[in-house]
Amino acid sequence: MIKRVKELDSKALIASKEFRDYVEKQETEINRGISVLCILSILTQAGEEGLHGYKILKDLTDQTNEMLVIEEGTIYPILRKLENENIIKSKREESGRKRKFYSVNEYGKKIFNHLSGYYSKLTEAIAPLFDVSVNLKSEKYLFCPMCANKIELTNIELRFCDVCGYNIEKELKERGLKNE
Amino acid sequence: MSEKDMQNIIKEYLKDVKSKLPEWLKDKKEYKEILAELEEHIWSKAEELSGMGQPTTQSVQMAVTHMGKPESIAREYKRRGTPKVYITKEMWPAYLKVLGIVFAVIIGISIISQVIDFVFGNVDVGEFIGNIITGIQIGCLSTFAIITIIFVGLSMEGYFPEDFKSKKIREEEKQQLEIAREKGIPISEIKKKPLKPYIKPVGEIIGGFIAIVGGIFLIILPIPAITNLVDSEFLLYLQFAGVFILIEGILDLNRGLIGNRQMLTHQIIHGITIAVKLASISVVILMMNRPEIFPILLVNDPTEALINIGIAPEYYALFRGIAALIITLVALSTIEDFYRIYKAERYKSKY
Repeated sequence: MIKRVKELDSKALIASKEFRDYVEKQETEINRGISVLCILSILTQAGEEGLHGYKILKDLTDQTNEMLVIEEGTIYPILRKLENENIIKSKREESGRKRKFYSVNEYGKKIFNHLSGYYSKLTEAIAPLFDVSVNLKSEKYLFCPMCANKIELTNIELRFCDVCGYNIEKELKERGLKNE
Repeated sequence: MSEKDMQNIIKEYLKDVKSKLPEWLKDKKEYKEILAELEEHIWSKAEELSGMGQPTTQSVQMAVTHMGKPESIAREYKRRGTPKVYITKEMWPAYLKVLGIVFAVIIGISIISQVIDFVFGNVDVGEFIGNIITGIQIGCLSTFAIITIIFVGLSMEGYFPEDFKSKKIREEEKQQLEIAREKGIPISEIKKKPLKPYIKPVGEIIGGFIAIVGGIFLIILPIPAITNLVDSEFLLYLQFAGVFILIEGILDLNRGLIGNRQMLTHQIIHGITIAVKLASISVVILMMNRPEIFPILLVNDPTEALINIGIAPEYYALFRGIAALIITLVALSTIEDFYRIYKAERYKSKY
């Protein structure tokens, strides 16, 4: 956010280089991990078809109300890293501008579910520290009590968390999703 | 301003990005794809910013500004690897491997060169040991410093060990990893590769079998035409050596039969092997002190019968030198057994 401020009021705190540098550095640190998570979320929404780099950034900006702004060129190193880590895959357009389209693979989906669950539970837990409230969509998801993996409740055949193997039948029964 | 001006703005920016990219990326020629992707992004952004469907010089300039500094992009490419004492966790095994190989070569060269000097009488025992220690110290310290500096530099640039491999090999490894994940084959936590089997059982069984046959041969010494010519004391030493070879063969055979299971048993067997190898040195020491009984068999010209001429006294020093070298090599070969005991520890949780 601090990067957005272009005109400096000489009396404002932001005019101090020390303050500005520190805040900018911390914001970058906070954004780094979140950016990866948000990119994975956008790519998961896009499904098998995938998205090219420019569209990912556009969706990222739009869906975060322009709060999560990253330097546009830096998205490509992130995508390359995710591809090398076998979390996303890419394919090039066969005709036209031959852009590279990225999508999440099966392994990446599992990684995303887990990280997304962890991040959701973390945000819920730390929310009181900032005097805000976070409501997790518990009617839609179950968060594994052991590892926080995000489990969609559409699959009622589920018995175990596929990340840590925790038996989730008790939680499903409590929600009336499984017979006693 | 023309389209050429817009292209020049982008070209200048991409040139700047390229100059800042880490060397490992430039080596792979992959940077061309990266620059093409950045260019595509700039044109798309410029089209959007112009609001007219067609980019303008001003919108291209703005799009370039949105991309961020070339240093920031390059920094992201370099930002890989987990920090570990100035050398990244990913480069650490390669660092230890290079150090290990270089140290082994230095130790080997130091010992062999001094053994040669000792055999030819250029140095006495005190100098022999002193020179070996000095050679190892200087060699290892200087190469340690050089190798460490190189690896710190490579870590700072964001190099990974796979950057030194061809694209084909990297693709193959990626496929193997996917197959291993599907089949549930254990994956090395350090190398992020499917774990290789601890041993190749067939090789161990064949090796063990050959050693058993060789050991038995030395114990029974079945060719009287030769053994009759050799000193009985030397034959006794050969039989002792045969016993040690036989035991090592039986141990190898057992390891082969156990296969990639029971890591604790493997560790015990390697422990026994170390003891057997060190005990076998005693036979070489005994032989070393009795060069006069070492047989050299020749065919006598007129009679075509085998005769034992033994070693000429002037070659006794050479004989002792070779025996000393054999003792060193046997002692050094126990390093492999120690390493395999350590390696089995890592495999315990996998198998």
